[in-house]
Amino acid sequence: MSDAMHAAIAGAQPSQRAEKNPDAPLFEGVYKERFDSILTRYPNKRAALLPVLHMAQEIRGWISPETMTRVAELLELTPAYVRSVASFYTMFALRPVGRYLIQVCVGIGCDLCGAEEVTERFLELTKTRIGETSDDGKYTVVEVECLGACAFPTVVQVNDQVYENVKAEEVESLLKELD
Amino acid sequence: MAYPYEHPREERMLSRYFGEVDAIGIDGWIERGGYTALEKALGTAQDDVIQVVKDSGLRGRGGAGFPAGLKWSFMPKDGKAPSYVACNADESEPGTFKDRELMRWTPHQVIEGIIIASYAVRAQHAYIYIRGEFVDIVRVLNGAVVEAYERGYLGMNILGSGYDLDLTVHTGAGAYIAGEETGLLNSLEGRRAEPRVKPPFPAQKGAFGMPTTVNNVETLASVPHIVLNGADWYRQWGTEKSPGTKLFSCCGHLQRPGNYEVPLDFSLKELVYDLCGGPPEGRELLGVIPGGSSVPILTVDELDCEVSYEGIEAAGSFLGSGGLIAMDDSTCMVRAVRRMVEFYAHESCGQCTPCREGTSWLTKILRRIERGDGREEDIPLLLDVGSNMAGSTICPLSDSAAVPVVSSIQKFEDEYMAHIRDGSCTAKR
Amino acid sequence: MDSESKLINLTIDGTEVSVPEGTTILKAAERLGIVIPRYCWHPGLSAPAQCRMCLVEVEGWPKPQPACVQQVQDGMVVNTDCVEARKARRGVIEFLLLNHPLDCPICDAAGQCMLQDYAHETGQLRRRAVEAKVVLGRDHVTPEIVYFADRCILCTRCVRFMDEIAQEPVLQVINRGHKGYIDTMTDELFEHPFSMNIVDVCPVGALVNEDFLFKARSWDLDQTASICPGCSQGCNVALGTKENRVVRLKPRFNPEVNSYWMCDHGRREVVRWGAGMRAEVPLVREAERLVPADWARALDATVEALRGVEGGAKAIVDPGASNESLYIVRRLMDQVGFDGGSFRVSSGPQQVLKGFPKLALREDRAANASGAEALGYGRVDDIYGAVRSHRGVLFVLEEGLDDAPEDFADGSALFVYIGSVLSPAARKADIVLPSPSFAEMDGTFTNFEGRVQRFTQGLRPPGLARPIWMSGSVVLARLGGGEPFTSAAAAFAALAEEFTAFSGLSYEKIGLTGAVSAAAESGATAS
Repeated sequence: MSDAMHAAIAGAQPSQRAEKNPDAPLFEGVYKERFDSILTRYPNKRAALLPVLHMAQEIRGWISPETMTRVAELLELTPAYVRSVASFYTMFALRPVGRYLIQVCVGIGCDLCGAEEVTERFLELTKTRIGETSDDGKYTVVEVECLGACAFPTVVQVNDQVYENVKAEEVESLLKELD
Repeated sequence: MAYPYEHPREERMLSRYFGEVDAIGIDGWIERGGYTALEKALGTAQDDVIQVVKDSGLRGRGGAGFPAGLKWSFMPKDGKAPSYVACNADESEPGTFKDRELMRWTPHQVIEGIIIASYAVRAQHAYIYIRGEFVDIVRVLNGAVVEAYERGYLGMNILGSGYDLDLTVHTGAGAYIAGEETGLLNSLEGRRAEPRVKPPFPAQKGAFGMPTTVNNVETLASVPHIVLNGADWYRQWGTEKSPGTKLFSCCGHLQRPGNYEVPLDFSLKELVYDLCGGPPEGRELLGVIPGGSSVPILTVDELDCEVSYEGIEAAGSFLGSGGLIAMDDSTCMVRAVRRMVEFYAHESCGQCTPCREGTSWLTKILRRIERGDGREEDIPLLLDVGSNMAGSTICPLSDSAAVPVVSSIQKFEDEYMAHIRDGSCTAKR
Repeated sequence: MDSESKLINLTIDGTEVSVPEGTTILKAAERLGIVIPRYCWHPGLSAPAQCRMCLVEVEGWPKPQPACVQQVQDGMVVNTDCVEARKARRGVIEFLLLNHPLDCPICDAAGQCMLQDYAHETGQLRRRAVEAKVVLGRDHVTPEIVYFADRCILCTRCVRFMDEIAQEPVLQVINRGHKGYIDTMTDELFEHPFSMNIVDVCPVGALVNEDFLFKARSWDLDQTASICPGCSQGCNVALGTKENRVVRLKPRFNPEVNSYWMCDHGRREVVRWGAGMRAEVPLVREAERLVPADWARALDATVEALRGVEGGAKAIVDPGASNESLYIVRRLMDQVGFDGGSFRVSSGPQQVLKGFPKLALREDRAANASGAEALGYGRVDDIYGAVRSHRGVLFVLEEGLDDAPEDFADGSALFVYIGSVLSPAARKADIVLPSPSFAEMDGTFTNFEGRVQRFTQGLRPPGLARPIWMSGSVVLARLGGGEPFTSAAAAFAALAEEFTAFSGLSYEKIGLTGAVSAAAESGATAS
């Protein structure tokens, strides 16, 4: 990868992987390189907070207090400040989530076209309630606000993957596809 | 995933290559005439670039409709302090999904616009602030930015012009309010995306305390076309006050939902019934929200207007972001409004008292009416709470939350009364 | 600077006013005595304009404007009490009370609460919300400060104090929108030497000092202008007193010394004062015993003892004693020949308030070491060594003598103890003159930079205790002629005549915010 390439990508990619390892070392190896290149893209360290939290979540699957404290240290912020910012944004999981984070769009576009039934079907099949993780640690189903693909209801995002035009009767096969 | 629908009556300037996979990469884009506008711009004085955009009458496509060229002209011209351009790709207005498609199918169209804008306002670094949920789009953009660096459209001495520019894709993390331009700047700086008190405006004190221009994706994507073909060419479409074409994201109860690009003097009614095919078979339309959930709902009788900024305003609503939401007679209006208000309650940053408390209170009242526990006095109460929320906060989110409530009561009070008096719903299942 | 900037003319509530360009409506209104209701705005902090309580009507403008940030413009017509502004305020109050527990009976802020005041003012009798209130609960944010989340109006004054003034952003808004609350890092308490200012800036009862909890209703407190005795900074404070006890200290604004702030050490220090056995009556040694006496007898005995005594006078004084007390002791010593007076100062680490660096918890943990030095007393490490072989008169002023050696004062011809608490060493005195604590009398302290500041009496002294400037001046009059002082101001006037560090100053000139003598100032510039 050329320097320009490296700098441009700069780790700004939000990511939710299926394999989550809450004990994985933070910002080592290739992640350290990404961390350093993120810092080159901004005039101060504070501005790197969102990309760095995205990366931490990519590595560990969620943002624990320990993660926040470490990020604070690296960016010369207070842990409370990092908590404040992290808790402002809904994409940062401040509690562990299942292997598959199933986000059902309930924005007005999807709601008009049956998002509620899709959510209910997911909950039924994963035997969970909204925001809770299934006993086997596999699924967490959440409702999210408009995902910005309103012409393709219902929009469902599972980890990194976006599914459009999901109907309640297709939920079962979608879940099978995940395994 | 092929692009779903297109219509012969569209005027596809921005969306010409939607659905063409080959147009996404930089080679395909250059084959289609990409980056010639940039070459032309770099050979033109900065102020002349600003002038042509001013002359074109291009207005901000994010919702507010502020003239883009005028906005650029507020930036300092001495080039002493670092200055920035931020491309607002935090598209989150419910019912709006045009920027997503622009970035998905034509990332280089957007990047070219950003580079030209940055050159015109003498910025050294541009950021694309994209909402974090657009994971797949971020991937596309990052790839495109790398390509642009490799071909010398970004970096040092762009195309031998002596102009340097860096471009960074910055991803948000789930906050509608980061789409408000000063909320965006705070978020870019690693803060809570709380809107700032204005003045100072971003052109005086923006990102990192420096002069900054914030433009919407669609605005910036229009720029290369204007620079290449001139202001008069652009003004062949639309009206005096609303020149050009615009993408309308159409969703809800329509036969052919999707993005349609039409000149701004196009008929709203024809957009709904002709291009989008009207409501599904056997259904009647109840109402249409023409510009994202923040603008007043129009009844089917009010659709006979132009889609221009002034045309929709005369009809009693706003063009907003161009997110058109159609609701047919299967819609429970109380539920639909509750859902929209719930969104604003979820997205309120919480700084201003009326918004923080009002959005959540409205939601609770609407839920109560929806489940049949409403009281007649809830109607004047909703209107009064809405009026206490409107015009009393730092940013317009509070107003936006009150809009669906107030406009739906004005136009669909019967639906509310059916819930309140009989615990029933007028929606036809 | 004011004279250089342009003046803007505007009308507020029908009255014309001229203010410098850049002034906010809120500040301009204050010039007319109009206090525009506000929550998030605090004079010592930035203005986020987020509570929206200060919205006012500007004629011809489409929307009401936040007075706290909107700057005045020429010809502007502002209405702070019109229908529009009142409606906006009613709206904000109604919103703030939606989930507020209305637990005023058990709230520490009752009676000094801006939510109570403005809610009362908007007079909304009926609650329009039928929804159940959200309950969040409470938690400590420091070991001494409790956060009542349900009372919080999210004005963020506390957050901004820690961010802008303490410059340690350890207190933050967590979550967003209606789910927001104030907190520290998860499961952590914070500690900061100036933390209790967050309680002061809280406009409601959301942040309370546990130490003050259920101690007093705010309206039962008497307020007295005073100076914090905790260190040599000399923070201007208001003593909150109840039933003749100081129950709390609040900073009193002084831009030259402490702005709106003060440290936690000072507050803790004063509330502890006055504990323990107090000297309430004069004592005179008869045979081997100290016996109670009235003032006439005690003063007779003092005059008698001082007449014709030989060996000169030495003194140990406390650097927390007032200038007036120190001055009188100095004069008494002069009567028998001044042979040196000394004091010691307890010390601790200096803690600067970063956002207002003029203010620090100073290393010298005493209020008046500078005054003692100016009056001729010397700072020493070993106060006992300085008087060990002394054979003449020994005066001790307010120094506790807790660690005095066994043979303390054994050789001295006369030992006069002037103070408020009697330690075993103090009980070796020949004469004990009981004196009030700083909160029980008027006086002045000189702070670390030579600023002389007045404190006033907030408490009744116990028993027969009376200030030494009063009792001592009677002794002086009888020994050397002249009139006794009838007030602390008179004692100070005499002192100012005699000592250059105070020259030109008077109680009137010092006022309630302090002054530096011209001599001291030029001395400071020279050095």
